[in-house]
Amino acid sequence: MSRIGVYVCHCGENIAGAVDVEEVRKYAETLPGVVVARDYLFMCSDPGQELIKQDIRDGLVDRVVVAACTPRTHEPIFRKAVENGGLNKYFFEMANIRDQDSWPHWHDREGATAKAKKLVASAVAKVALLEPLEDRYVDVTRSSLVIGGGVAGMFAALDLANMGYKVYLVEKNPSIGGNMAKLDKTFPTNDCSACILTPIMVQVGTHPNIELLTYSEVESVEGSIGNFKVKVRKKQTYVDWDRCTGCGDCVEACPARVPNEFNEGMDKRKAIYIEFPQAVPKRAVLDIEHCINCAKRAIGTEPRIHSKTGEPILAPCEKACKTGACDRSKPYNPDGEIMELSVGTIIVATGYKVMDKTPFKEYSPQSPNVITAMQLERILSATGPTEGELRRPSDGEKPRTIVFISCVGSRDKNHHTYCSKVCCMYMLKEARLIKEKYPNINIYIFFIDVRTAGKDFEEYYNYCRGLGIKMIRGRVGAVDELAGDRLRVRAYDVDLGVPVELEADLVVLATAIEPAPGLEELGRKLGITCGSEGFMKELHTKLYPVETPVKGIYIAGCAQGPKDIPESVSQARAASSAAAVPLAMGRVLVEPLISEVDQEKCSGCGICVPLCPYLAISMVEYREKPLSRINEALCAGCGVCAAACPSGAITLHGYTSAQIHAQIEALTAGIGGGANV
Amino acid sequence: MSSAQAASLVINLTDSEPGFADEIKELGGEELLECIQCAKCAAACPMVLAGFSFFNKRIIQAILLGLREVLLDDSSIWACQSCNRCTEVCPREVNPFEIIQAMRRVAVREFALPTMSIEGLKSLYDTGHAVYLAGAGNTRAKVGLPEKPPSTVAYPEALKELQAIMRKTALADLGIIPMNGFGVADTCEV
Repeated sequence: MSRIGVYVCHCGENIAGAVDVEEVRKYAETLPGVVVARDYLFMCSDPGQELIKQDIRDGLVDRVVVAACTPRTHEPIFRKAVENGGLNKYFFEMANIRDQDSWPHWHDREGATAKAKKLVASAVAKVALLEPLEDRYVDVTRSSLVIGGGVAGMFAALDLANMGYKVYLVEKNPSIGGNMAKLDKTFPTNDCSACILTPIMVQVGTHPNIELLTYSEVESVEGSIGNFKVKVRKKQTYVDWDRCTGCGDCVEACPARVPNEFNEGMDKRKAIYIEFPQAVPKRAVLDIEHCINCAKRAIGTEPRIHSKTGEPILAPCEKACKTGACDRSKPYNPDGEIMELSVGTIIVATGYKVMDKTPFKEYSPQSPNVITAMQLERILSATGPTEGELRRPSDGEKPRTIVFISCVGSRDKNHHTYCSKVCCMYMLKEARLIKEKYPNINIYIFFIDVRTAGKDFEEYYNYCRGLGIKMIRGRVGAVDELAGDRLRVRAYDVDLGVPVELEADLVVLATAIEPAPGLEELGRKLGITCGSEGFMKELHTKLYPVETPVKGIYIAGCAQGPKDIPESVSQARAASSAAAVPLAMGRVLVEPLISEVDQEKCSGCGICVPLCPYLAISMVEYREKPLSRINEALCAGCGVCAAACPSGAITLHGYTSAQIHAQIEALTAGIGGGANV
Repeated sequence: MSSAQAASLVINLTDSEPGFADEIKELGGEELLECIQCAKCAAACPMVLAGFSFFNKRIIQAILLGLREVLLDDSSIWACQSCNRCTEVCPREVNPFEIIQAMRRVAVREFALPTMSIEGLKSLYDTGHAVYLAGAGNTRAKVGLPEKPPSTVAYPEALKELQAIMRKTALADLGIIPMNGFGVADTCEV
């Protein structure tokens, strides 16, 4: 007979505020096998853990149940305490009487107390049946994958590479740099974005430990911490990058024009293009969808021969190319190339996109003079469509009055309920850049709240006010088009308490920050769910902000939520150091809570094989019969196979059928007739 | 409400004066742009309680938006009691009271001031008191005070100095009040 100790935690008021802890403790004493039941204010604190350890050392208990918060954060802590006391650490079970009891039943003390008792009884029933298990370790592949080559991804990659680890940096666009490469200047110091970013891009591009995979996307991810197998699709560029020098001659020659994504659609690029002048790698890409196959030179066909000269008839791009990189005769595979990578850890840094203006009908999105803040950023940038000249899109005139509208698509139940966090500051920044250059331009910023929390941000705001930028509290209700490319802006000034209106030449919408397109799909490949707003969820907001629910996968930057450059970089560097820990250790602990096949019971049906998300199960010949076998190194203990096995041949250690049944019985004790089944 | 009335309620910012804030700064409201409209001054202001439409916070916002005409069409600025509580409570050192004073200076320059203010100014010039009760001497004597208070009333040379100062101000150029002879007038009761 096992000797079970039950330890009930008050969690300050978190549990004790809704659960009668003393009653639960007394009840636990009456359960079969329980020799001692104690309670304490904070069971996870040093004195709390000492209670458990002392009882084990005294020989009083040999199984431990802690009724407290969540195993998600606290199970490892208590297992360690059990081990330090001198027991096998898997002789431990946790009853979650906070997240699953006191919190949801906060106003029902009686019900919460009754439920706590059941949860404790269930844990006690299971702990009696637990077996000792031994930890195991798997060797780690000492390399890392960073998904996304914006400022966060680049810093994460650089840090890991500088520590000596091999890093694969996957970027879906032809160049690294991300959204930051589009910005003119950056708050709160107004550094030129290109001046601080491009040197980093060069470092990333030339680092011996970084393998840059641009114009590439993650296709699939298998395995687990220490040993991920990642398939990456290198999209077809239709340009031989080994030969391309980035000279741009093909771009000059190309006659096909396409809206330029880098300039937010405000001008045209060519069908063959270099993403932007400072691109890394500086290589041309052929956008096959928009290529017009000049001279009937479809990719993979031999050129026609000129009837008179006998020369081959080439397309302008390949004619212009001095290195032969644009040779269109090559039989390019439109699906590109699949690369298989082995990495120990993964960092997701896929960044963001800004909302388009189209959904905001009340702001006359059809007007060329209603633009997004990102478009204004391109207008202000020296590499933008106007080369930094402030000109409005409709007629190229310099605007005299500019209106900024904040929270467009943010804090809005029709679009995104969250605050995009960076808009207040970037509006102030753009307004300031304009006002400093052209003091006579009238600038109005319509806001709901000015949110400038951040080091040196409030000072920045004050400075902008001092420049005479007019701040009006009140969301703009309408922007109407007037004759002469003018726009009428109507709002209600909350501070004056009156409706106001004015005529503007340019209206700038601070549209919301959204997750990068495809983040949800990438999450499915990685096994990480996105929150209701589409951003990836960190493991714990405060304590594990760069970890995800999947061990070995970390997040940085706007993939996790809207944030500015300083925060993105901080988070990236935090993620890289978290991702380096398993690489530095060389091996990772894998809990022995994995599945095992009883070969006597296995019928060899093979149902389990395709179900395993980790490809850990294979069929092997045994005494001339196919039998299922589970690779311990790959098994993550999800239990899908154990649940599906029609022969009951698979056991998930730590969650055996006997243990689960004992828990169910304890939870349903006293409920008759199967009415609740 | 008719649509014409409703339309008149809308303030058209296109007609506003971009340089108005600078003018107020020059006339004494130096810290104007520090205001972030937190409304702490309004919470301390007796004008708000008395129901005036333009009090410190709203006056400042109207100035920030360049709404000179709106403020000139309203007499609220003259209702400020100079209690200075706004200046005491302001967390941004805006000194709202000084801004109201600056706005009064603007109004005076446009002759947009109420008659009562003219009388007050005249009394100030003539007696050294904006509000002076000439017949108060008896009452003062009854409670054992000197008939004349120890101010410009009792010291004509001090009044002369004050008048000299006033003649150096914009008031002299504007000619709102006559600034002729010296000496305390017998009756300047208002």
